Parts: sequence; structure tokens; C-alpha cells
Amino acid sequence: MDKDDPLFIPVLLGTVRMGRMSANAARLVVQELEKQAGVQTELIDIAQMPLPTHDAGEAVKNSTYSAKMQRADGLVVVAPEYNHGYSGLLKHVLDSCLKEYIHKAVGIVGVSAGPFGGTRVIQNLLPVMRELGLVAIFWDVNFSNVQNVFTPEGVLREPAFIPRIGKFLKELIWMSKTLRHGRREITLG
Amino acid sequence: MPPASSKIVCPHCGEQMNHHAEKIVYSTGRLPGEVAGPDRDVVPRVTLEEFHSCPNCGQTESRRVESTDSGSGLP
Repeated sequence: MDKDDPLFIPVLLGTVRMGRMSANAARLVVQELEKQAGVQTELIDIAQMPLPTHDAGEAVKNSTYSAKMQRADGLVVVAPEYNHGYSGLLKHVLDSCLKEYIHKAVGIVGVSAGPFGGTRVIQNLLPVMRELGLVAIFWDVNFSNVQNVFTPEGVLREPAFIPRIGKFLKELIWMSKTLRHGRREITLG
Repeated sequence: MPPASSKIVCPHCGEQMNHHAEKIVYSTGRLPGEVAGPDRDVVPRVTLEEFHSCPNCGQTESRRVESTDSGSGLP
């Protein structure tokens, strides 16, 4: 693989809830990522994944998800805030891998029905990201009052989100490139 | 267990992989035959997991070094 090969930065939609507004946010981020030169992306929807509950952790690793995380240089996690926290099923999926994540970049998009735009869910997820070996960037995207941000058809109402997402992705791409170099070329100790 | 300093060959393309990270992983799992008694807790298993990445194809692999002590023997 050449060092100039495209980065792969998938977008993880972290909820299975029926009527989830986060899906609009995730699709918007995918759309903006697709515009970035040198980047490939796709939407990973946890609602489309088998989610066995007889066990947890790497014992329930899904080979398709694992392969995508293996290939990824960075990741966007779109996380709605439910009761001040993240979805249990999102955690269930995240916990199914480990080596696939180490020293890769992650950016978090918070989504809420209220005014704080998922600030709490982002703060709650950061220690999880750290323990999984993912390196969180310092830019977030916050979709507050998400029910007003998109039309019922999922079209963005507020164009101000585009430059905000742009800044977020610029930093995520930088971190993804830097860590790809580090993983491949910089030896520990 | 291979020495922690030995390189891993990429199972995907055969290139020598780069060792770029280490992490301690704790487990409550028991070793075969190990039981907890009234005056003895099960010793937590402490694993040092190494992470390697292939500079050629980007494949990631990991390798574990296990210890049954409380971790004092690990660097």
C-alpha cells in the first residue's frame, strides 16, 4: 500500500432507534467526507449489524465490521445523547474490536433533541475512545435541537453546518494521515 | 511465547510489521483448573498486548504476553 493511497474514514451511526434523527446527521457527514480529496468513506449503520446479546466484547466480533475497522485510518462516531449518555448498543459494537482501533483517529458528532448538541455524550465517550486506543481530535460537531436542523425528508435546513463540518473533517484527516504514518513507520521504544 | 522484541511478519503480504503500541489488558477469566477458595481470590490475569502494523499493506496484528501476577512483573 502506497503512502499516498486514499485514507479510509467510515462514519459509524451509533443508534438503532426507530425514527432516529442521527441518521440525517450521519448521512450529511458522509456526504461531506465524499467531497474530500484522497478520502474514501462509507456509512456503517449499527442497526444493520447482527448484535448478539449472549456475550460481549471481542467474543461477538463481526467479521465485516472488524474488516472495516482494520482498513480504517480514522473514524467518525455519530452519537445521539440518550439520558445524558451514549447508546448501549453503540458501546456493544465498539467493544467488539480492539487491535483494529489502536493509534487511529476518531472524531465524534454529538446529536441531541435538546439545546446542548450532545455535549455530554461526547464527553462521556472520550474515555472510552482513549481506552480503545483511538485518538480523539479536539473538534466536535454538535447537532442541537436536531429535529429542526433537517426537513422531514432529511434535507439540511442550516447551511452553517457545512463549514463547521469542514473544520472537523480537516482536523480528522490530518490526524488520520499522521497516525497512519506513525503506525507504519514509527517503532515503539 | 515469542520474545516481545521479535518482529511479526504480516500474514497478509509477508512484510515485517512495525511494533507501534503496547497496552495492558485485565481479565477476570480463570486459568484451567484454577478455582477460588474461601480464603483465596482468583488472581486477575494481566496481559500485555502488543500492536503491530504493516508498513506495506496496513494490516494490523496483535500479540499477547500473559502474566498471572498482579502486574508487578510487567514493565
